[in-house]
Amino acid sequence: MVIGAAVSDRLSLQLTLVLFLSVVVVTLFTALLTAPQRDEISEFYLGNRTMSPLRNGLAMCGDYLSAATLLGSTGLVALTGYDGLLYLCGTAVAWMMVLLLIAEPLRNTGKFTLGDTLALRVPRMQRPVRLALAVCTLAITTLYLVAQLVGSVALLTQFTGEPSATTRTLCVVVIGTVVIVYAAIGGMPGATFIQVVKAVMLISGVTVTAVMVLHRFDWNIDALLTAAADNSGSGTRFLEPGLRYGASTNSKLDFFSLQLAIVLGLAALPHVMMRLLAPKEVGVLRTSVVWGMGLVSLVCLAAGILGLGATAVVGRDTIADTDRKGDAAVLLLAHDLGGAVLTALLSCLAFVTLLAVAAGLTLAAATSLAHDLYGEVIRKGRATQTEEVAVARLAAAVIGILGMLLALISWGANTATLAFLAFAIAASAILPTLVYTLFWRRFTAQGALLSLCGGLLCSVALVVFSPVVSSTPTSFYPSADFAWFPLQNPGIVSIPAGFLLGWLGSVLSRPETPEIYEDFEVRTLVGVD
Amino acid sequence: MSRHSTRFGSPPPYSPTPPEQAERQQVSRDPAYQSLRRIRRRFGVRATAVAVGGFLLYVLLSSFVPGLMNQPLIGHLTVGLALGLGQFVLMAVIVWRYLVHIRTHVTPLVRGLRGLARQHEAAGRGRAVPGPAMAPRDGEYRSW
Repeated sequence: MVIGAAVSDRLSLQLTLVLFLSVVVVTLFTALLTAPQRDEISEFYLGNRTMSPLRNGLAMCGDYLSAATLLGSTGLVALTGYDGLLYLCGTAVAWMMVLLLIAEPLRNTGKFTLGDTLALRVPRMQRPVRLALAVCTLAITTLYLVAQLVGSVALLTQFTGEPSATTRTLCVVVIGTVVIVYAAIGGMPGATFIQVVKAVMLISGVTVTAVMVLHRFDWNIDALLTAAADNSGSGTRFLEPGLRYGASTNSKLDFFSLQLAIVLGLAALPHVMMRLLAPKEVGVLRTSVVWGMGLVSLVCLAAGILGLGATAVVGRDTIADTDRKGDAAVLLLAHDLGGAVLTALLSCLAFVTLLAVAAGLTLAAATSLAHDLYGEVIRKGRATQTEEVAVARLAAAVIGILGMLLALISWGANTATLAFLAFAIAASAILPTLVYTLFWRRFTAQGALLSLCGGLLCSVALVVFSPVVSSTPTSFYPSADFAWFPLQNPGIVSIPAGFLLGWLGSVLSRPETPEIYEDFEVRTLVGVD
Repeated sequence: MSRHSTRFGSPPPYSPTPPEQAERQQVSRDPAYQSLRRIRRRFGVRATAVAVGGFLLYVLLSSFVPGLMNQPLIGHLTVGLALGLGQFVLMAVIVWRYLVHIRTHVTPLVRGLRGLARQHEAAGRGRAVPGPAMAPRDGEYRSW
């Protein structure tokens, strides 16, 4: 692993620390102030249900864009040009599914989790289905949470070089503890506040830096492209597809598989789904999702400019020498454009970003555990609200600690790989169930169970037997070789498999009574405000 | 036990057919409801197919037909890069069409059906039929 010299000097590290601490202190205080005072599950799970569409949209944007987007994908653009831009494009397109198909029917039928929606469709078999859903949710959120915490270590590496075991542990424990406080004490109101703060910071920070890049090139896009191609070490190949994923048909399919998982997986991410349930009126939800889409698209466009700018200004060799995966691109660019202050601002932004996403994930996992697993499966719907909220707070702490332990064990893992696996599981286990539940009359509980468990097992198994785990120098076990599945991203196989299993399970089982679906459909379309 | 309150108008999962369910089934036989169902599903499926399918097609074209995507347009701007920007334009157009579609075709039908459901509800409970409640108007939310 080549991790070269640290990105920046002591001054920007100190500035970053001061900025980060002040943001954390302010948001923690606000989280405590806005924390749910009465133990009401609605307030703890959904927060303020009458927020304006802009604020909701900012929170959605905050939930969706992780530090991986800010550092990882700009780095990808800086190192691979066109392929990186394609990846950013997919990040924005994913919102179309949410807006056009999922958001409104889900809100009209949902309460706190997807389990509540499914329970309306399969009332008699709701417990096993909720159990399977909770397992899938837990798998997705834990993977993504570990990715965020590992990302914090990777980010620290940018400043201090390879951190010692103590620094590493300290970093993960501090971030993890703050996350637990946000989620367990603040509940959804606290998580929403930090999400909004982070989104505002992210959008303004990224936009301002992009404007600075464009200003440096006199607002001439062609000059930017020319400079990027010249400094990329590969000439015009930089602006053509295939630099990263064009080596063979396998890697092209791999890229397609990744895009499929991203475009389809977003709608099924548990923390994004929770956000969709919050607005009280359908109209507010629709406007919020449009806001979210617009803001995400803006950030993606700006990130593309940042990536190209990093190559044009700093040069590909410097970026690749500092960090093999390119995660340092934005910080190097910031250092060149705005000195220590801008570097500190952007790295503080990255820390806040991963903090906020981790808080949203912890809360989503805690909700699923407390509401689906404890409230409905264990207590069979007889738990009081106070009990359920207490369990949710406890679950948030447990999941946070679990995430910290896993992150400390696997701190060298590639954050992008973990995040992509989470997307693939969401797209192949939860999305089929979600789509069938909302739109397919014949869907049954057996279909739901089969597609949830099958999709989860299929995507995990394919990754285990892929080059991610064995056979290449960058995998977890480089010396072993049991990688018979050639692609790193399982989506292209596991997503169709999830849909197929859901269909098969439904067709083979006895249909539910037709009135249930009729009732459900009226609810999805007409809604109840 | 009261945690499954009908805050969302939802019946608790285990109760026998509550009055609201019967009303919903009456709504589902209304011709306006049938046409609402048809237009929503048709628009949703078509728009998603264009947006998501268009993007996946673009990814496949970039991977497997690089020759076409590398045609230069102006300076360093190739067909591929222009199509990438085009995805954002396409998304904006679809969102705009979607909002127009909802405003002109869906919202009036939904309003009518909600009024109908309320009338059924009121009639079912033997009360006087109230006038259709004011539907929430878009654009009138509490500002920041």
